[in-house]
Amino acid sequence: MKVTSIALGATFASLLSGTAMAEQITVFDWSGYDDPGFFGAYVEKYGEAPNFSFFADDHEGFNKLRSGFKADLAHPCTSVIGKMRATDMLSPIDVSRLEAWGDLLPTLANLPFVSADGQVWMLPFDWGNTGLVYRTDLVTGDINLQTLADPAMAGKISLPDAVEDAYALAALAVGVSDWSQMTDEKFQEASDFLRAVHTNVRFYWSDQGQLDAAIKSGEIHAAWAWNATELAMIFDEIPAKMIRDPEVGVASWACGYVHLNNGEGGDEEVYDFLNALSSAESGKYLIESWGYAHANAKSYEIADQDAVAAYGYSDPEGFMASSLFGFNPSQEIAAKMLKEFERIKAGF
Amino acid sequence: MIVTKETKTGLLLSAPATLYVLLLIAAPVALTIAYSFWTQDFVEVRREFTWANYAEVFSDPLYRTLIFRSVRIAAMVTFLTVLLAYPIAYYIAFNVKKSKALWLFLVTIPFWTSYLLRVFSWKIVLAQNGVVNSALLSLGIIDAPLDTLLYNSEAVVVTLAHAWAPFAILPIFVSLEKIDRSLLEASKDLGEGPVRSFLRVTLPLSIPGIVGACLIIFIPTVGDYVTPALVGGSDGAMVANMIQVQFGKANNWPLGSALALSAVVCVTIAACIVVGALKLLERSLK
Repeated sequence: MKVTSIALGATFASLLSGTAMAEQITVFDWSGYDDPGFFGAYVEKYGEAPNFSFFADDHEGFNKLRSGFKADLAHPCTSVIGKMRATDMLSPIDVSRLEAWGDLLPTLANLPFVSADGQVWMLPFDWGNTGLVYRTDLVTGDINLQTLADPAMAGKISLPDAVEDAYALAALAVGVSDWSQMTDEKFQEASDFLRAVHTNVRFYWSDQGQLDAAIKSGEIHAAWAWNATELAMIFDEIPAKMIRDPEVGVASWACGYVHLNNGEGGDEEVYDFLNALSSAESGKYLIESWGYAHANAKSYEIADQDAVAAYGYSDPEGFMASSLFGFNPSQEIAAKMLKEFERIKAGF
Repeated sequence: MIVTKETKTGLLLSAPATLYVLLLIAAPVALTIAYSFWTQDFVEVRREFTWANYAEVFSDPLYRTLIFRSVRIAAMVTFLTVLLAYPIAYYIAFNVKKSKALWLFLVTIPFWTSYLLRVFSWKIVLAQNGVVNSALLSLGIIDAPLDTLLYNSEAVVVTLAHAWAPFAILPIFVSLEKIDRSLLEASKDLGEGPVRSFLRVTLPLSIPGIVGACLIIFIPTVGDYVTPALVGGSDGAMVANMIQVQFGKANNWPLGSALALSAVVCVTIAACIVVGALKLLERSLK
């Protein structure tokens, strides 16, 4: 009798835990990234996708992990890696177990937040640009970053409601092309630039759909935006484009997968998932179906060449070398920027 | 203390409510108060007593502006909502003879859709190519779409005033409905016209309903977060948006807690002033 009830209890426990396989991994991700096209090889091997849980922005995700949420892998972007490492959340990634590590774009593999202290902390997955997107039919004449502060553009500008993106723009506008050049003096100049642009800003966008709709309707003429906005315009045949000329200034972002040290899934599953994500096939799918750039250099060779050219990914290495990467000022200046950006938005 | 059977029953009966209040109200408030005296040190919270967060909240013009703006927006919303709700409540209480319940039911219809959807609808109404602009354009009243409709504090006031209307109509209706009709007849018999009857009898007797409506609207709207985030733009941002930033992106919970508590104190003071002013009005009308 007692044996049966224990057996029953165990059965229930395994039912409650969701899967029969105790090794099943949990991936903490942006919504939409549970697209099986990204990790086809993993699904082939295990017959099902891992468990997914979602966050809406980096900081929310970080706070949830801080308060004890357990997952094996997470997909943050570069701005919270510093915080994650400071709180000892991450396990280093053993690159010898990654088949495609050598095929990754070198700039991504060597980013300061990817490789640090002789270890690799993140597997870069997707990257793209943040740049000046403008309506080619509504903005006439030469356009550069200073155009955003031009009084003639009053009420026709949108900036991102994210300190990392806004200060990347400001840094480029004051001639900083590497975060290590961001001194206190440059920080002041950059803040003054944002303050000048603020008077022209109609709204600070936090939701890409809102920005896209405003550009389509002609309410916004120029914006500092992700390349996904340019893609949305290409899909809807709106005359708009992103300036990728390094002379004008363009920034890049990168996101990737980190190995959390409180996960309960199997180690082998974690690496199988990372291998599936970093394969060239995954990259081909990301480029063709999502229009985003992938970290694996070989994926650009096997993807549809028309798409690669249309989305501006023909020379990813050369392109990245000339853009401002990620958000990596000193911790002290980053904290100042955060405060200052809130003041600027409030009109101070 | 001798525990009688009666005390025992009493304690048992009040235990669930006490537990509920302790766990869901007292504990979170205590935690917020504790946090407001601590400091954030990058990713860690340093648990040493300090007034620094409050000093920052009260010395920095940014936070002062946001708190005052929130109080001002909420006061405007309250005033506008009560002003618009009063005639509706008056009509239902005095002029609708049959099926009052149906009328009240109709008033609550906006609540059938989510609050968020109503805010989004206002965005569509006020947008540059929205309902108001296209109507004015097609009527030839304006030549170019107005861009002053959305993304400012007025848009926040309009949106909130619409969303909270039923909360004003219902309490005012109840207080009007309770008025003894013979008092109005007496006023008429004594030679007062309709305007003076309203000012000296109906209005003073409906003040409790107005006070209720003001409090129900003012207190939650000061802390509203969604509406300013969606239609407020940068000069319609309110204190709740800043509190959210502190708990999210800025990752400074102690400062966020101090801001939240300071806002609570300001709201309490402002609410007391509103209630006091209405009581004075009531006395002067009588």
